[in-house]
Amino acid sequence: MPDHTNNGMQCNEFDLLLSDALDGVLSGPGLDRFEAHARACKTCGPLLAEAEAGRQWLKGLTEVEPPASLVNNILASTTGVDTQRLRTTARAQQPRVSWLEHVQASFLEPVWAMVRQPRFAMSFGMAFFALSVSLTMAGVKPADISQISLRPTAIRRTYYNTQARVVRYFNNARYVYEVEAALHGIKRNLNPAEPSRSKQNEHKNDTTQQPEQKQERNYSQTGEQIILASVPLGPSLRDLPVVSVTTYRRFV
Amino acid sequence: MEDVQVVAMLVRRCIAGDAAAWEEIVQSYNRRIYNICYRFAGSADDAQDLTQEVFIKMYRTLTSYDPSKGAFVTWVTTITRNLLVDHFRKTKQDRMTDSMDSTASDHEDAQPLSEQIPDQSAPPDAHVRSREVSETVHQALGKLSPELREALILRDLQDMDYREIATVLRVPEGTVKSRINRGRAELARLLQRTYRQVM
Repeated sequence: MPDHTNNGMQCNEFDLLLSDALDGVLSGPGLDRFEAHARACKTCGPLLAEAEAGRQWLKGLTEVEPPASLVNNILASTTGVDTQRLRTTARAQQPRVSWLEHVQASFLEPVWAMVRQPRFAMSFGMAFFALSVSLTMAGVKPADISQISLRPTAIRRTYYNTQARVVRYFNNARYVYEVEAALHGIKRNLNPAEPSRSKQNEHKNDTTQQPEQKQERNYSQTGEQIILASVPLGPSLRDLPVVSVTTYRRFV
Repeated sequence: MEDVQVVAMLVRRCIAGDAAAWEEIVQSYNRRIYNICYRFAGSADDAQDLTQEVFIKMYRTLTSYDPSKGAFVTWVTTITRNLLVDHFRKTKQDRMTDSMDSTASDHEDAQPLSEQIPDQSAPPDAHVRSREVSETVHQALGKLSPELREALILRDLQDMDYREIATVLRVPEGTVKSRINRGRAELARLLQRTYRQVM
């Protein structure tokens, strides 16, 4: 469309207002300018007339009646053929919840929500730090963990080795030695008639099937056989309490 | 035509598997869709097939309808229009606006379009004449380019407002108005020539 200006209106503007004018929504000075342009412009005047005529022609077109079988055909091609299709489609649109997602929704997400709290993160961080420091001080290295064998025999051997190491460590401790030495000294002082080692060896070599004296003393503690401490030496030991010493030690 | 809430409820019932709700939708919209298809495609058989295709497509994509994005009738019309465009491309009936004097084929001795439109000279009565006029206008409408034709159908035959048409056609409102003006003028020129020759 040529862009001429007639009566203060350009043809492009006329084209935009043409629909409104035909719909009857254009009024006032706008309508006056529009009509003036239509009268003056050799292009837009005929366009207005043709558009109005075309509109009138189309108004004469009435709605056509669809075939009577159309609705039935549509229903047959949709719900009629497969009545469950819509329901299936609707179900398919809904997300299927697997057991993993169900567990995730009911268990993992609440736990994760709790874990994400700063307080929990701080506590976990401190616990991890304490554990790592403890392991470092105990001499545990991450590389050692990967070499751990989980076979039952290996676990059992590790258990006994660890137990022996702990017992050795305990026995080798200086204050344990001192305490034990003191106790032995007390015992020796309290019971000087204890048979000597050579005599004990004689008992070990004895093949007369007689019960060993030491075993008798340790494992058959009847009322008459209890060895009570007495204080024959000096007044300082007289105040000590009466003790019965039995040491159970397991050597591996 | 439609109460938004009522239609939304109807759609929800359809999605839930209510066959009666789907039938209600079919009953409500089949006439409108059939008329759009008939005016665009030009033949009753094509219109019937296309209407069924539109409803099948609606049936499959009903869950994608979002009431917050627009009226149901606009959604339905958009589906119809898209299907018509696809159909038009498939059949390659890309008939740009032709003059009534131009020939439908490349042969020089072919009949001009004005002679292909039925003769209006001897109507037996007013009813028949009215029907023949409608048929003439319908045929002239089919001679318009698809862009002009769809704009005219939606505005003058379906009474949609410019904004809804712009939504369906995915063009600005100004373009819609321009196409409608050009379409009306072109249609009037085609029909004036026809009746000038006939009368």
